[in-house]
Amino acid sequence: MSIKAKYYFTVSTSSGVPIYRQIIDQVKTHIATGRLEMDVFLPSVRQVAKELVVNPMTVSKAYSLLEKEGVLESVRGQGMKVHKTSVSKKDLEKREDQMVPLLKEVVTKARQLSLSKEKMAALLESLWKENKNG
Amino acid sequence: MDRYVIEAKDISKNFGAKQVLDQLSLSVPAGSVFGLLGTNGAGKTTLIKCLLGLYKISRGKIHVLGDDPWDFMEATKEQLGYVPQSDRVYPWLTVKELIAYTASFYKHWNAPLIEKLIKEWRINPEEKLGVLSEGEAQKVSIILSLGHEPKLLVLDEPVASLDPAARRQFIKMILQIVSDRECAIFFSTHITSDLERVADQVAVLKEGRIHFHGELGALKDEVKRLHIRSEQQLPDDLGLGREKVIYCESSAGEAIVSVRGFKKEFKDIIEATCKARVEVEDLNLEEIFLELNR
Repeated sequence: MSIKAKYYFTVSTSSGVPIYRQIIDQVKTHIATGRLEMDVFLPSVRQVAKELVVNPMTVSKAYSLLEKEGVLESVRGQGMKVHKTSVSKKDLEKREDQMVPLLKEVVTKARQLSLSKEKMAALLESLWKENKNG
Repeated sequence: MDRYVIEAKDISKNFGAKQVLDQLSLSVPAGSVFGLLGTNGAGKTTLIKCLLGLYKISRGKIHVLGDDPWDFMEATKEQLGYVPQSDRVYPWLTVKELIAYTASFYKHWNAPLIEKLIKEWRINPEEKLGVLSEGEAQKVSIILSLGHEPKLLVLDEPVASLDPAARRQFIKMILQIVSDRECAIFFSTHITSDLERVADQVAVLKEGRIHFHGELGALKDEVKRLHIRSEQQLPDDLGLGREKVIYCESSAGEAIVSVRGFKKEFKDIIEATCKARVEVEDLNLEEIFLELNR
């Protein structure tokens, strides 16, 4: 079974985040949420590059950094698969890590708008409820 | 195989009293897609013409595929492909005739490859060059530059006259070329979003000098915008050193500063030396380009 890269990754060229880092973040997100499971093979560098219309070197840089971090494991002649330990470490901390960059943006924006920490907490609280009901 | 397909060291180019390139150095790794970014009049075309031996440099040294451009050997020329900015010299020829004419100049010519590309890009080979649209003519030039299967393909503003759909098609073709064969691509542009998809190496040219040269990802990591709020007067260099500050705009305890050579420690340094609060903003390539060209 092969995964279609387009369904898993999206890249934005208007973002301040380099494309290789966007791919890294998305692989980690998919692992943390269980969408990419242990031992699943990722689409090849060529395939990702082709589907996303980006330079293969960019994809291969993302993959090799993920391998260095122990998130992916390279299997000779077969490609990259999700490493065991990266899934077993699917603990709270890992999931929290995913939220940090998002929340940083929220904090920046809130400061710009002069919204207090308490106001933001209240806002989150109400959105949380709304989301649950919807 | 050499590590670099292009190596330029301290090159300058003058036209009379006008200096267009100013002691510029550049190296393009084999197999890379190298984007040369610069505003109109930055010197992109001049640089390209120097690299190809169409202009003689005033000072410095250039090696392209290990050879001196001003005195290229025939064997080197066989390995070079070049698409100039505008290239509509034979309006009375049909596409098919132009292909045959171009092929006659080369010892090695991959006719099936050209046929395949003409089909893929939906070019009518019976059409006269004079009636092709801007985009179609551009496509024909690009296709022709690939017939002799060059090791280095140099394109001067290849996407400038293409619409977004044709540009995307062009990018796909470039990516196809680099993944199918051993070929480095060097192209100039001022369209940053295309560059971002296709290039792995980038250089920013401004007033004849290179202002950044390296991996595309590194450029985004290195150039940031800082939003600083402080109770006290901020020093000009923010305690980082003058060369790090690209542009600074400040009034009454607030400042927006773009910096180069960014490191995570910057935030701490500024917060400590200026008793300030600092927010770091990531910039996309277009914003970086604008900052570097202020």
